[in-house]
Amino acid sequence: MSGSWMTTRAWLLMLPLLAVMISVIGWPLVDTVRLSFTDARLVGTEGSFVGLDNYARMLSGANFQRTLVTTTWFAVISVAAEMVLGVLAALLLNQQFYGRTVLRALMILPWALPTVVNATLWRLIYNPEYGALNAALTQIGLLDAYRSWLGEPNTALAALIVADCWKNFPLVALIALAALQAVPRDITSASMVDGAGPIARFRFVILPYLVGPLLVALVLRTIEAFKVFDIIWVMTRGGPANSTRTLSILVYQEAFSFQRAGSGASLALIVTLLVTVLAVAYAALVRKAAGSNA
Amino acid sequence: MSALEIQNIRKSYGAVETLKGIDIALQSGEFLVLLGSSGCGKSTLLNIIAGLAEATSGDIRIGDRSILGVHPKDRDIAMVFQSYALYPNLSVRRNIGFGLEMRKVPGAERDKAVQEAARLLQIEPLLDRKPSQLSGGQRQRVAIGRALVRKPQVFLFDEPLSNLDAKLRLEMRTELKRLHQMLQTTVVYVTHDQIEAMTLASRIAVMKDGRIEQLGTPDEVYNRPATLYVAGFVGAPPMNILDVQVDNGSLAISGSDVRLPLPERFRSVVSDGEQLALGIRPEALRLSSDDRAGGHALQVHIEVLELTGPELVATARVGQQKLTACLAPRAKLGQGDVAVLLVDDDALHLFDKASGRARLA
Repeated sequence: MSGSWMTTRAWLLMLPLLAVMISVIGWPLVDTVRLSFTDARLVGTEGSFVGLDNYARMLSGANFQRTLVTTTWFAVISVAAEMVLGVLAALLLNQQFYGRTVLRALMILPWALPTVVNATLWRLIYNPEYGALNAALTQIGLLDAYRSWLGEPNTALAALIVADCWKNFPLVALIALAALQAVPRDITSASMVDGAGPIARFRFVILPYLVGPLLVALVLRTIEAFKVFDIIWVMTRGGPANSTRTLSILVYQEAFSFQRAGSGASLALIVTLLVTVLAVAYAALVRKAAGSNA
Repeated sequence: MSALEIQNIRKSYGAVETLKGIDIALQSGEFLVLLGSSGCGKSTLLNIIAGLAEATSGDIRIGDRSILGVHPKDRDIAMVFQSYALYPNLSVRRNIGFGLEMRKVPGAERDKAVQEAARLLQIEPLLDRKPSQLSGGQRQRVAIGRALVRKPQVFLFDEPLSNLDAKLRLEMRTELKRLHQMLQTTVVYVTHDQIEAMTLASRIAVMKDGRIEQLGTPDEVYNRPATLYVAGFVGAPPMNILDVQVDNGSLAISGSDVRLPLPERFRSVVSDGEQLALGIRPEALRLSSDDRAGGHALQVHIEVLELTGPELVATARVGQQKLTACLAPRAKLGQGDVAVLLVDDDALHLFDKASGRARLA
């Protein structure tokens, strides 16, 4: 069979997918780019060309800068915590003990739940009147009176990060657990005979096998955390006092709450660009890590 | 006092007993090979000595202390693994020195020991490479170096040559022998390769189903196998086993009219009419046209001839029973010939058919 026929056939087979992708992603993207150069509103005006005005206004605005900081905090802290918790959980679940299989299955549960369910669940836990967290903390004496965890600007973001970690550390744990199972038993045995303690064993025996897969997890989680929308929207809608407003929330507010389709589109494209930069940087990092292991 | 003493070691996994009471005492400088097919318990025994598995009962002593319950790192042992088990992200230098590093041996002293081991193993130029940049043979040298620098009481080797190709295996075998002759260390070495066992060991423990079938020098194991299993396992091609009956001072080979005289040394341990298994090593047979005189004649029908180079392997029949003989390569023989093979008195082995035990081991 000739190469050109193979190529033609490959394109033919991909055609349905391409058609769907172009209609639901490609066209909206092109239209968003067009919108971002206009002052169009969601309803009513078609808008006229305003050049880079939207971009200039969005980038220089205090809202954008504050939101970028909030988003960065959210992403850095939640991803870091997820990585640490995930690796610890994986190390634990890699030990031989009775009931391990059940525990492994249970661990996946938070990650398998829809985000909306998870968010609702944590809203109940944080509830200022009957929430479990308030009850627990007052009963063990750490707290004098019930607090509104999601209602106070200085605790809301932390509360969200905890909820996000709880949902997402199982993914990291799952990836780490798979990697741990690839650590050869002989090397672990050799390190025991050589006298390596738990910390040295982790550093010299286990970590080399974890680094690659963990980098992949890091990339996935950072990009997702940077684009976070659903969990925050369900729990705080970006409040109180915009203290949990991330970039995606800001885009939504600009485009739909304030109905400014033009500037909303420009903001969306700025976020897309930031995430792309992250993705490319990480891809390079992963490639480098893979190269040094070969 | 023995360098290593294994006392009645038993190991069970649930209802399955993989080691059924192992007793071995090793003198300092001895090279013990645990030989057996897979599943015989040899690796389990090695892991128990290393502290990587626990014995169900029994005791193991190194020098004058029991090491059961002692952490592997405190047993004064070093181990070389089949898969080399090098630390992938450490240089060769740090791999070799890792045990010393973990024991907080000062850097200068460590460097000296690593350098010394590298010189001994001829891997000095490789010290700054990573394991992934080494060939299989070089990796195994590094693994051996890692054990050497520790200067332990006992070295443990778990099939260290099985992952190497045939040529390299031969080289490393000689290398190991040279190292042992030079360093005079106590070694326990696990393998399923009987040639490795024969060439390296000062004593061989042939294991089967969690028991030691025979513990002896390579010469004893080869020339005086204690059981049918040992007779079949050690030697290639394996020892011929023929059904015979003691008949009036001779051995009548069943299914034929061939008789061999019963050697003098067996007279007191067999009784007339008894059914026994007669063992003859293929390499103990020679053609009657050979210049060496003497020996008992055995008339056979040649069925297959295979020239391996150094010898001619003949598959023949004595009556209904199969017999293999390793003959001189230039023997004048053809397929279908009737030939007369000679065997010496002391090359005949007799075994009890039911228990498999040798009469006069």
